[in-house]
Amino acid sequence: MLKRDHQLVLPTQARAPGFRVELRGTTFRLVATGAWTVAEAADLDKALKRVRVPIPPTPDFTGEMDIAGIAEIDTAGAWLLQRTANAWAKGGLRTRYRGATESFRILIEEVHRRGQAERPEIERSHPLEKMIEDAGKAMTGAGRDAVQLTEFLGEVTAAFWRMLKQPWRFRPISFFHHLDHAGLRAVPIIALICFLIGAVVMQQGVVQLRPFGAEPFAVNMVAILALREVGILLTAIMVAGRSGSAFTAEIGSMKMREEIDAMRTLGIDPMDTLVLPRVLALVVALPLLTFLGDIMGLAGGGVMAFGVLGLDFSTYIDKLHETVDFQHFLAGMIKAPFAAIIIALVGCLEGLKVEGSAESLGTHVTSAVVKAIFLVIVLDAVFAIFLSGIGV
Amino acid sequence: MIVEDGREVVIRVRGLAKSFGTHQIWDGLNLDVYRGEILAIVGGSGQGKSVLMRVITGLVMPDTGVVALFGQDAQTLAPQARLNIEKRWGILFQDGALFSSLTVLQNIQVPMREHLDLPQSMMDDLAFLKLTMVGLPPEAAHKYPSELSGGMRKRAGLARALALDPEIVFLDEPTAGLDPIGASEFDHLIRKLQQTLGLTVYMVTHDLDTIFTVCERVAVLADKKIVRTGSPTELQSRPNHPWIKEYFCGERARAASPTEQRRLIGNDA
Repeated sequence: MLKRDHQLVLPTQARAPGFRVELRGTTFRLVATGAWTVAEAADLDKALKRVRVPIPPTPDFTGEMDIAGIAEIDTAGAWLLQRTANAWAKGGLRTRYRGATESFRILIEEVHRRGQAERPEIERSHPLEKMIEDAGKAMTGAGRDAVQLTEFLGEVTAAFWRMLKQPWRFRPISFFHHLDHAGLRAVPIIALICFLIGAVVMQQGVVQLRPFGAEPFAVNMVAILALREVGILLTAIMVAGRSGSAFTAEIGSMKMREEIDAMRTLGIDPMDTLVLPRVLALVVALPLLTFLGDIMGLAGGGVMAFGVLGLDFSTYIDKLHETVDFQHFLAGMIKAPFAAIIIALVGCLEGLKVEGSAESLGTHVTSAVVKAIFLVIVLDAVFAIFLSGIGV
Repeated sequence: MIVEDGREVVIRVRGLAKSFGTHQIWDGLNLDVYRGEILAIVGGSGQGKSVLMRVITGLVMPDTGVVALFGQDAQTLAPQARLNIEKRWGILFQDGALFSSLTVLQNIQVPMREHLDLPQSMMDDLAFLKLTMVGLPPEAAHKYPSELSGGMRKRAGLARALALDPEIVFLDEPTAGLDPIGASEFDHLIRKLQQTLGLTVYMVTHDLDTIFTVCERVAVLADKKIVRTGSPTELQSRPNHPWIKEYFCGERARAASPTEQRRLIGNDA
């Protein structure tokens, strides 16, 4: 903001801004007073828009912006003046300024000069067009993801094969670190949720089966469900949320800080040091966690069976023996290593796709979790079809 | 309003002390900023240059001490009065601190949208004006911060700081991370805007070229206080503190100093 007496401004209340338009001789004058600042710009803008552009009756009429009464001005005020002057000039009035101090003149000239710049148009497309475009992008994106993931699986397999031939490439410290983080530390939460879901399914099963007098069959339902589906699915989803996102965040932040490039230049293969230990750790940890989930699901069912059916522990175990086969257990368990590979691969791949910015890290962590959970459920469905196909 | 030597003191800092844990960064720091000047704050790393800016702008609370903004004690201000003062300054953070989900033009409009009731077309025009005033190409208007180079982000951040036509702008290391050509262009931009808009510029910087080309006064932060203020050439000709001597009379300072350049040119001729 520029003030008229530039050196020392006394704390007087700045006069309210205003203007009037008058005709003196052959000159249309806009006499402006007060503070023409951005805080007053809205009112000034409205008032100025109400003023008609004077039409000169003969060409020798001129316009004048008398700003000798302006106490304060800033870019918004200068812009308003300049807009009015431009409108007058377009109407055929040659307009000049009167009463500007040196600093006012510099500001108004600058605003005038900058106001000449050509403004780019925003590209606006039709909403329908945009929707179709987005759908197309999503489809090709999904296709590209599938190709990338398959490629990455190939790379990891090759790295694994290399490691088998050259066992010194294995990184035990890293492997056990991830085994601890992804496995051991996930025990309490997985035990708790599987226990609770087991109990809830038992309770709901009993309620639904009671009208048919079939409530003892709730035990069968819980046992089969826990071993075949609930144990593995809950565990895998939990691990995808906990460890898949952690893998993306760890590798992604290293990528962001160019640590991965530094590794490559130092002759260290990120595949060996970052990806393989994580994949292997999860392949070991997830079946173990699934086993824990199975047991806790059954335990939750047992506690609820005691509560709502009055079955004691040994009867519950006996009933389990009657209904459950080893193959039910295996049908759930066989999915665990595959789910582990999917979660770890998606997590590591998304981490490696992170670019320089923090936003990119955030979006990739989110997409790692979403993709991993989606793929785990697809895997589960594929196994369900396959297993029922071979009659297990 | 505080007036000293015929100039208005817009920011007065007295007896400031601040510790982080057991580490005390200032003890009894005093500083005056006059209206219409370009002031550079220099000092070694860890002396709290950026923290001082944050204390003045109210982002960090000092342990003790008084900060007077436009003659009003910052600590006793009511929230509304504080907001009115905050509208009178703009801050350029180190990397621009632009909102990543908004385009450059929208970023510049944020303060207008929050604090004023302007029609959209006028905000567009004013924001575009600010954008060109800081030397950004018109095409940058609809780009997102992530699509801009570091130098352009700083310019866009400056445009946002200028959105409400403030009286003071705070610049945190304005030329850090720019190449020498970009840095020198930015120096000139600051000087030009200061003259055009009648700004008071408070600048935290390391850049000797910036200090010698645009700054009228330098405040040196060392030994937990402002040890000296003066024009860059004054500090260079009479350094009375080991840090000032090292900073203003080292090899880099001699290369940047206008007197030295005159001497070199004179020798060539």
